[in-house]
Amino acid sequence: MKHHVYLILLMASGVLYAADTPQSMMERYATEAKAEQSDFQGFSAERGEVFFKSTHGGDWSCASCHTSVPTQSGEHAGTGKTIKPLAPSVNSERFTRLKKTEKWFKRNCNDVLDRPCTAVEKGDVMTYLLSL
Amino acid sequence: MNRILIWDIPTRVFHWLLAVSFVGAYLTAETEKFRNLHLALGYTMLGLIVFRIFWGFAGTRYARFSSFRFGIGDVKTYLQSLLSSPKHYLGHNPAGALAIFALMSLAVLTPLVGIALYFEVGGYSLEELWEESHEMLGNAMLLVVLGHLAGVVVSSVIHKENLVGSMINGHKQGPAELGISRAYPLIGMILVLAVLGFWWVYLR
Repeated sequence: MKHHVYLILLMASGVLYAADTPQSMMERYATEAKAEQSDFQGFSAERGEVFFKSTHGGDWSCASCHTSVPTQSGEHAGTGKTIKPLAPSVNSERFTRLKKTEKWFKRNCNDVLDRPCTAVEKGDVMTYLLSL
Repeated sequence: MNRILIWDIPTRVFHWLLAVSFVGAYLTAETEKFRNLHLALGYTMLGLIVFRIFWGFAGTRYARFSSFRFGIGDVKTYLQSLLSSPKHYLGHNPAGALAIFALMSLAVLTPLVGIALYFEVGGYSLEELWEESHEMLGNAMLLVVLGHLAGVVVSSVIHKENLVGSMINGHKQGPAELGISRAYPLIGMILVLAVLGFWWVYLR
């Protein structure tokens, strides 16, 4: 009986832990995007791809570390460490924890753009990555 | 009262290298641009603590752990004495000693958890645990550093001595027979060169 309780708790924590999906994040960013832009028309994979591959005033673009083929492994531009592919089609761990996604958007947007990304930018990039 | 030597050179060199490493690591925590530097500074802290533990047994009088191994009761007594007749210590006072042991522990734990995070020990499932604890430990270390700085200011004012200056030039005012006789500059120099050499190799 006691074991069952533990098992249920373990399963529940597992469910809570992996509660986020790329879709749930996209919905969240869409809601935020509507608040940002009153004429928001939806995310665009094309815009996301351009954003991903361009520099934004600094040395680095997203592709500097993640490569311009995000279905492949990348390499950290500073440390040379291998970075697993970003595209969820080849790496199912991607975009399954909102906290992690938000952490890395925050860090990487600051490094690439010197400011936080807007919800539109995040949604565009995710739409691009999900289209691969 | 004479101007006497209290802190040997390895102790001072260790102190300032640890301070620089911590500040540098804290400032490079939120960016990928300086990730290599952040890692190098974490490894440096680990190496420095290894040296300090050795020096805590092999060093001069006031550098030895045995000279500042106080209990929590001593800390209370010392802090209470500050309100009436402050008890003066030539070496570390009990409150300072507490900060030192806390800082040394955190200067080991924070980099170790950071290493686990960087090398993805335990994979995706442990990532968040390492990440959260690394951040918490780093912030805890900042708090202890701030407490340590406040203690240095309070203690300097109350005992009318310049503790920051002492940690730079090694001297305090005291009875001649209580000073240490050797400063061990060679060991201090080896420590500096080891750290600079490591930085050069790692960051080049």
